[in-house]
Amino acid sequence: MNTILPKIALRNLARQKKRSFLLGGAIAFGIMIVTLINGFAGAFIENVSENFAYLMAGHVFIQGSEKTDSGRRLHVIRDGSLIVEAVEKTALPYSFATKSSEVAAMIIFEGKSIRQNLTGLDIANSTFLKERLVLKQGSWEQSMAPDALILSEKVAGKLNVLPGDRVTASFQTITGQNNVADFTVVAISVDASIIGSVMTYVNLDYLNAFLGMKPGEYMSLGFMLPNLKDASEFSTALYESMKNLGMGLFERSAQDDSGSATPFQALMRNQNKETWEGVKYRVFTIDDVLSQAKQIVLALDSSSLIILLVLFAIVMIGITNTFRMVMYERIREIGTMRAVGVQRREVRSILLALVAMGGLSLIDFGMDSPAFLIMKNGHLSFFLPPARALFNILVISLLTILAAYFPARAAAKMTPADALRTMK
Amino acid sequence: MPIIELKEVRKVYPLGKVEVHAVKGVSFAIERGEFISIAGPSGSGKTTILNMIGLIDSPSSGEVEIDGKTTSGLSDKELTRFRHEILGFIFQSFNLIPVLNVWENIEFPLLLGKTRISPQEKKGWIDWLIEEVGLTEWKTHKPNELSGGQRQRVAIARALVTKPQIVLADEPTANLDSATGEQIIELMKKINRELDTTFIFSTHDAKIVEIADHIIRLRDGLVTENQRRTEEGIIPCP
Ligand SMILES: Nc1ncnc2c1ncn2[C@@H]1O[C@H](COP(=O)(O)OP(=O)(O)O)[C@@H](O)[C@H]1O
Ligand SMILES: [Mg+2]
Repeated sequence: MNTILPKIALRNLARQKKRSFLLGGAIAFGIMIVTLINGFAGAFIENVSENFAYLMAGHVFIQGSEKTDSGRRLHVIRDGSLIVEAVEKTALPYSFATKSSEVAAMIIFEGKSIRQNLTGLDIANSTFLKERLVLKQGSWEQSMAPDALILSEKVAGKLNVLPGDRVTASFQTITGQNNVADFTVVAISVDASIIGSVMTYVNLDYLNAFLGMKPGEYMSLGFMLPNLKDASEFSTALYESMKNLGMGLFERSAQDDSGSATPFQALMRNQNKETWEGVKYRVFTIDDVLSQAKQIVLALDSSSLIILLVLFAIVMIGITNTFRMVMYERIREIGTMRAVGVQRREVRSILLALVAMGGLSLIDFGMDSPAFLIMKNGHLSFFLPPARALFNILVISLLTILAAYFPARAAAKMTPADALRTMK
Repeated sequence: MPIIELKEVRKVYPLGKVEVHAVKGVSFAIERGEFISIAGPSGSGKTTILNMIGLIDSPSSGEVEIDGKTTSGLSDKELTRFRHEILGFIFQSFNLIPVLNVWENIEFPLLLGKTRISPQEKKGWIDWLIEEVGLTEWKTHKPNELSGGQRQRVAIARALVTKPQIVLADEPTANLDSATGEQIIELMKKINRELDTTFIFSTHDAKIVEIADHIIRLRDGLVTENQRRTEEGIIPCP
């Protein structure tokens, strides 16, 4: 095949910059949006559970709740010995258990402040934290200090703190009093994910003292299991075992009359309504916590499919129309070329090649630009399942070729005389 | 042997429910190297006849023979090759390719089909043609930077680049002022003499008709007059 025809086609395309740009831009933008949504949704579903498991220090959790006379609910496990017994009775394995407390706090440093969740745990003995967190500055040795605090790069940047700086945190004790505590920044961690950057770690005992808890008390106990898939079995067994020991427990699954909330939300709502004596425990898994997030992600993903379909329709109409227009404008040129010796087959294939080329570069642009954006943004997790990407590309290519095929065939089929007569 | 012979050629166009009889049984012969004018008022069938001679349209009945060969029954592919090898076209509205410059427009037909010609030979030939049509200064200009007369000169060079035996020009002067039109016809005549290429042009302009040495007049799809002008005077053709 000679090269002059593609050359002419490309020059024509370049001459119609504005139109090519508008249509192309619209298509590329659409593809980009869909790719972005697909990508984020994919990334979320892909690794969010494991991420959360690490950040929350477990797959299965037990929280204790006390209801005071004033109706206030205190999150506290005063004595964990019964729980330990219950776990032993299940005879199920777990990798490690982590005691933790958590509080929403305002961290203040030199006039700057930022809201963070302070997670208190035994930093020095927390292997999972050491595995999970990559330190950018500071060191694990210094986290032995009772008032140690590790925060993420992003938060450190916003507060403008460095290891060694003293920060103040203000929060409420478990009984609702305002309190402040000073911490020393000992390390700054690399932001592994969006979720990771919101976590700030401190030492459990130190935090507990300021929360109004006694030594040895904590808010929740997390079990890290060998595998995420074991969570359901483990939690059920643990629940039964705790029940057998006569411990007060919240229902694991709750019905919700509104129907709109997730089971986990319904559970929480019911717990707020109830009253009880002593400590009552709640057993839940990472999946319970994330079911809502997963639903959002799924909704997002399916809405992106709708966007994709609408986009496909636009692409199809746009291409067919533009193509008709291009051909109508070029029909005399096509007639001239045919008269001068260009074969019918060549006309058809050059028209299709033109569309394919344009289409492919648009698709490429649409798919690459999100990747580029992500790269510039750094740590956003982004994952487009390859099958999904392939599907998007295939559908768009197919529709593009289809949209162009019929006008192209019509133009090629015309007798040169008819083509030349048009547009006079 | 005539280079072109039409035998009882008819062309009927379907037009909605009616039929338009554009050419109603036309026969004539054209000899190699002639400079022919097909003359007639608008709607008399000039374009239709040229299209059939140019193999870009086919007769409803009758025969168009080129170089002694019948052309009916040829496939589109064969017709296209035939056009490329034997025919050159000049159009009323020039029909240059807007994105190609003068030189590239002229080169274009050489890049099609099976034409094989060495780069030096090609360059020499195209440069000669450009010189011949007087556009040496304009080689790298795009069609939209040229006047109508200049564009038609490019078209003439393009029509000649494959060294065709026949050049067809449908109203080549209709979009030009009369002085420029006459220059274009004179240029075609000069090349006709130099290269011995057969030129067939149509026109409704009586003044331009006279430059031809073989005139076929049409009216309502029929030949009303067919005569050659030689040194011996006007000779009617059978
Ligand atoms: N594609 C067509 N469909 C219907 N009628 C046509 C078509 N082309 C030409 N005609 C008719 O055929 C007749 C001859 O047309 P044409 O060959 O273009 O004449 P000329 O070139 O001498 O003006 C005219 O009456 C014209 O209207
Ligand atoms: Mg005409």
